[in-house]
Amino acid sequence: MPDAIIMDGITKTFGEKVAVRDMHMAVPEGALYGFIGPNGAGKTTTIRMIMSILFPDAGRLSVLGKASAVESKDRIGYLPEERGVYKKMKVGAFLNFIGKLKGAGGPGLDKKVRGWLDRVDLGDCYKKRCDELSKGMQQKVQFIAAVLHEPDLLIFDEPFSGLDPVNMRLLRDLFLEQHEAGRTVIFSTHVMHQAEQLCDHLIMINKGDKVLDASLDEIRAQYDPRTILFAPLEPSGAEAVGSVPGVESVTPMDGAFEVSLQDGVAPPEIMRQILQLTPVSKIELRRPTLEDVFIEIVTRDATQEADEASLRAELREEAAAGASV
Amino acid sequence: MIAKVSAIAWREFSSTVLTKAFLIGAFLIPMLAALAIPLIIKFTEEAKAPPLEGKIAIVDRSGAVLPGVKDRLSEEGIATLIAETSSMVQKQFAEQLGDEADKWKEQLDSPLVRSAIAQGFGPPPVLTVESYPADTDIEALRDRLKPSEKEAEDALVGLAIVAPDAVQQTEGAEAFGGYELFIRAKTDDRHIDLIRRGLRDAVLDARYAAAGVDATNVEALTTVSAARTKEITDSGDARAATTALNMMLPFVFMILLIMSVMVGGQYLLTTTIEEKSSRVVEVLLSAVSPMQLMTGKILGQMCVGVVMLTVYAGVGVATLIAFAKADLLSVDKLVYLGIYFVLAYFIFASFMAAIGSAVNELREAQSLQTPVMLTVMLPYFFWLPITRDPNSTLAFVLSMVPPMSPFAMVVRIASSEPPPFWQIALSIAITAAFALGCVWFAAKVFRIGLLMFGKPPNFRTLVRWVRMA
Repeated sequence: MPDAIIMDGITKTFGEKVAVRDMHMAVPEGALYGFIGPNGAGKTTTIRMIMSILFPDAGRLSVLGKASAVESKDRIGYLPEERGVYKKMKVGAFLNFIGKLKGAGGPGLDKKVRGWLDRVDLGDCYKKRCDELSKGMQQKVQFIAAVLHEPDLLIFDEPFSGLDPVNMRLLRDLFLEQHEAGRTVIFSTHVMHQAEQLCDHLIMINKGDKVLDASLDEIRAQYDPRTILFAPLEPSGAEAVGSVPGVESVTPMDGAFEVSLQDGVAPPEIMRQILQLTPVSKIELRRPTLEDVFIEIVTRDATQEADEASLRAELREEAAAGASV
Repeated sequence: MIAKVSAIAWREFSSTVLTKAFLIGAFLIPMLAALAIPLIIKFTEEAKAPPLEGKIAIVDRSGAVLPGVKDRLSEEGIATLIAETSSMVQKQFAEQLGDEADKWKEQLDSPLVRSAIAQGFGPPPVLTVESYPADTDIEALRDRLKPSEKEAEDALVGLAIVAPDAVQQTEGAEAFGGYELFIRAKTDDRHIDLIRRGLRDAVLDARYAAAGVDATNVEALTTVSAARTKEITDSGDARAATTALNMMLPFVFMILLIMSVMVGGQYLLTTTIEEKSSRVVEVLLSAVSPMQLMTGKILGQMCVGVVMLTVYAGVGVATLIAFAKADLLSVDKLVYLGIYFVLAYFIFASFMAAIGSAVNELREAQSLQTPVMLTVMLPYFFWLPITRDPNSTLAFVLSMVPPMSPFAMVVRIASSEPPPFWQIALSIAITAAFALGCVWFAAKVFRIGLLMFGKPPNFRTLVRWVRMA
């Protein structure tokens, strides 16, 4: 499948500050990609370069097969992080205006606008002024502005910020619907569990560098659980666990115990052995959340614990592998 | 591409013009003002002097003026004075109108105008002249002038004391004596004027009589009729020297230009800042390029300026036609006004777009805007010297150097001595080149500025952005 976006050694600096450094990536058509990273990591700059709102200092960029988005703007839907509406304009007029700018002008446009407003429960807002709408409602209007012209590529920058759970779910379903319709969807967020829930593939950016570029399954496999969490019914039960072969260490944690495993040991086997040794009130395999992975990567230079050494090595390998895609 | 630019231009235009604020500010208020002027004039006209009736005391120390005063302040005397005033007013009007006076002679002399002027005085004052001997107690007479004594039997409206030497000069004195006039408080100034003129005429009559001179003879002797000043031009034509009306036309042209350019430019600044501060700009930039956005905005606001210019110039032309002065204008003058509007607007709008894109709120725009505004205001200081001598070196230089050139040139074009065509062509060429440069500069600043938030920049920063872009 051809790639919707190709970045090849893209660098962007603002004065002294390097916002994006030597970025390589390829987003295949029809994929649902997440850009994750802390605030100020370079996500928005990367997206703005994809949108040709900013231009890279170095590197090669291809968007929907064109050298820059300037030539394919009408095929891209964009919900910027810094989003706004014309306060004094009526909602319907605003969406019609944006639709026209996006090259979707024509007799069917207004009908489409009304249809979308109905879909997001804003059917009665057509004639309202934009500043009469709540922030969440405005966000839905902006979402419509991004998808109205039926683009092939959709980019949402921090789409969920400031939304209540109900609208968050509504918007998420709309994303997935766009994705299922075969469109390429990219969204950026600093809220990891959103990315975890939604995306097939993640690109993690930190301080202008791409630090991770892998599918969610790959990440899960990479950060294979090597920790078992259990709470014995009797406090004495924990001591015996330390002597089980394959167990590296047992550390008490909030009334429970965390069992770290040696490399090459199968977790189910150890779990069975623990259960034979002592009755437990709870036992679980601890999967690292994306947040753990993220914090792990971001703070890896600060943490110097020995048992993380291998993980760190793997991560670096991973990052290097990703960078050469 | 064109569809996008025109969509932006239309939004810009409609969101500016089709608002209550604009319709009220641009049309309703000037219209009300225009309607109010005749009302105010009518109101002032109808503010007649209140009737004045009463005794005026004369203390004639010269002993020769009293009969004259009685005569001049009698009912017939006052009527004559009013008639004289009315013809004086007509004369002044005629002078203001210059060459046109002949055309308007009949209207000016119509009974309607005469009665209108007479109306202004209200009912003529009815005065009874009471004479008092030279040694009368002046204090006692003055007391009778007090407004609180108005209803008293012996109330006075005025008291005139004629000096002993008012008619016969004292030996060795350099001048004649005059008279002192006391008037009851709150007397209408038009009536005071009439009484003073009556007294003056009476004193003059007495002096002529004493000197043995015929009064009518004196009037003939002191009146010098002068034909209106005519200028001789190079072609040998004699024509009337610049009159007020001829001075006004260049001024009106300049004001029209300044106003229409400023209105569009100011709105451009406001909408650009609004787009930036409401963060709608990034949505726009995902659909159009900064250059398309700026072009659309500039063109949209230009239409706003065109609307203003058309409406106001239309009113101006209609007024001139109504006053049969349309020959002052010619189509080519209006065409030049249009051309210079476009050029001046592009220069001004470029700066406004650049400034609007660079700042975060209107308040921050002020310091950047001031120098630009000053340039537009500068022509105010120069229109008079340019109108007086439209082909002076100063006028020539100003009309060639942008950004002043459009304003200076329209003043010259509208003046009574339009510049030769080659000068207009040269000025248009220079100004157009400058305008293109401004648009180029603005486009660079606009592209960078739109996404820059934070500290408001100064002009040095703007120049750095231009280098960056």
